[in-house]
Amino acid sequence: LLGPTYGTGSILENTTLEVLDFNLLPSSLNLEDKYGIYSNLLFKYFLAEGIVCGHNLFVASAKEDPADILKELPAPLSDDALKNQVDEKETAIKSKQESQESMKIAWRYQNLPRIEVNIPAASARFGHYYDVSKVVSPELLQSTKWHRFFLPEEMSLHPEIKTCNMTCGYTRLLQSIQRIIYQEGFDGSYPQKKQKNILRIGIQSLGSVLWGDDICCAHNPEDIYSLTKFLYVLRGLLRMSLSACIITMPAHLIQNKAIMERVTNLSDTVVGLESFIGSERETNPLYKDYQGLIHVHKIPQLNSLICDVSGTKDLAFRLKRKLFTIEVRETVFFHYLEPERWSKSYHLVL
Amino acid sequence: MWGETISISPAPGPFPADTAECEGRSLLKTFVAASAHRGESVHVFGFEIPEEEFRAGFDPDVTVRLLYQDGFTDPLRWTGEAGGFGAEEFTALGVAGRLARGPAGPTTVVLDSLSWLLLRQPLPAVCQTLGQIPRAATSLRVTRILALLHEDLHPPGLVETLRSLARAVVGVGPAPEGMGSGGDAPHLASMLQRKGTGKVLKKVGEGKWRCPDWGVDPAANLTFNLRLSDTERRARDGMSLPFHFTVSGHAPFSQPAHFSQATPLLGPPAQCPQPLPSRPCPPFFFLPVPTAVSGPTPLPLAPPTSSSSIQSPLSL
Repeated sequence: LLGPTYGTGSILENTTLEVLDFNLLPSSLNLEDKYGIYSNLLFKYFLAEGIVCGHNLFVASAKEDPADILKELPAPLSDDALKNQVDEKETAIKSKQESQESMKIAWRYQNLPRIEVNIPAASARFGHYYDVSKVVSPELLQSTKWHRFFLPEEMSLHPEIKTCNMTCGYTRLLQSIQRIIYQEGFDGSYPQKKQKNILRIGIQSLGSVLWGDDICCAHNPEDIYSLTKFLYVLRGLLRMSLSACIITMPAHLIQNKAIMERVTNLSDTVVGLESFIGSERETNPLYKDYQGLIHVHKIPQLNSLICDVSGTKDLAFRLKRKLFTIEVRETVFFHYLEPERWSKSYHLVL
Repeated sequence: MWGETISISPAPGPFPADTAECEGRSLLKTFVAASAHRGESVHVFGFEIPEEEFRAGFDPDVTVRLLYQDGFTDPLRWTGEAGGFGAEEFTALGVAGRLARGPAGPTTVVLDSLSWLLLRQPLPAVCQTLGQIPRAATSLRVTRILALLHEDLHPPGLVETLRSLARAVVGVGPAPEGMGSGGDAPHLASMLQRKGTGKVLKKVGEGKWRCPDWGVDPAANLTFNLRLSDTERRARDGMSLPFHFTVSGHAPFSQPAHFSQATPLLGPPAQCPQPLPSRPCPPFFFLPVPTAVSGPTPLPLAPPTSSSSIQSPLSL
């Protein structure tokens, strides 16, 4: 990899909690679920983490005004609130335990807690927790330095261009990102002037028709390479600067699957979200506590030649009250008479 | 098959989408009436039916709030009459200019239909325009954009894209057998709505509305005739074909095997177990293949040398 390395992708393991660290990666692609609800949530988590860490933000959208997106970011959870959250969860689990039938074969394990919920101490914690039911406070927002790109606004600045096709939209976005990187010194210019900071870029719904691209509605799009060219140039910009980027993309609408292959190739991390809304899994008792599945299509291999050796491929997410949790599916062989259970929470650190 | 109405972009609102089997304009008109009853002014951009037909059936208190932009009479702007609205005027500024002519306040924009626009402008441009309309119309507040979509006319990718952009999609279709009773045909409308909180609601409702009594007949209103009248049918049945032997005896072209050999241009049929139908086929020219006759292959129009009374095509 060329360019500065700014943090290794480390996976911390302890007995109960495994933290998937996606932090500080050049580009992260989030494939939208069908109604865009949960991908939008992960998008907001990424930006909220930037606010809490004191990073600079760049928000680009063709659909929603970036100011409105920032107003709806989830509020960070303080330590006390987090402890309360954990206690609530433990009591819920204990009451559930008592109502379960006794185990027939593995009776020795009857009294062990089903799920251990341990939040490590703040010093050992990597990342932050957020309360989805609350929005970030305006004071915290004001203290954040952020930049915006809103395509309809850019188009209205140039009224002679009646409609913006994809080339026009993507080019303008790239120019805007490049200008911010240069002006704010994320690429190493003005080295003595400023303290080094990181730019978190969020691009919403790239490839949708609102960006002027027709790959979502036509099997033979007008310019099949415009999106991949954009990603290629964006990757170059990210590699030469201290920045990380999250992009959401409506992959389920893209007609030509070859495009998705190329896009996956050009990204460092690709995560797909499959929500159960409207599908037959919504009523499936196996998934009754969960709202969807997470498919990790690609994880970054920084300075490494080995392929993906992660053991867990079966991930589901749940949005319950305040927390968005990802859990791994684990078949417990002792309880072969019981349905498969879910255990081992993962916390996604963005 | 279900039609769908699609609601697009920031201004929330349902859109009816229909198919040839079940029309959605009646449902669109109920939404229009509901908006008018709420005190909003309704700007209708109509392209498919004349203004009088659209206004028909509304109460006077709805009609007074309806402002019709006529895109039906002169869509290509050939006569250049004032008040008309052409396809090329469908831009954010063009639409906002028309909206500004109406009263200020909450406004509903109705497109009848979105399919008409999508057949003349590319989808990205239409979607961008729809997204910009609320921002461009600064003098009033666009509360919702209603658009009628004929699902049959568009590829599924386009329909899915519109569904993903819309806040609410209402699909209309014929109700299953056994549902409802009475004179009017029952229809089912299913609505999928995405709320701002991130919830997705699905509702299915039954309604009855009188659809116009036209069936879908692709052979109607053509400049050429695809059907035969009774006299024409009888004349065709009575016609005898060339090479159709009228006497019994050796009739090579009435045998199935010869028939298959006789039509090399059309390709041999896979199986021909049944005997040929007695009714003559339309006159195609066969290339006859000699079986009992030796010598060069006779040309189709050459008179036969045998004595059986084969009717020459020239005698038709």
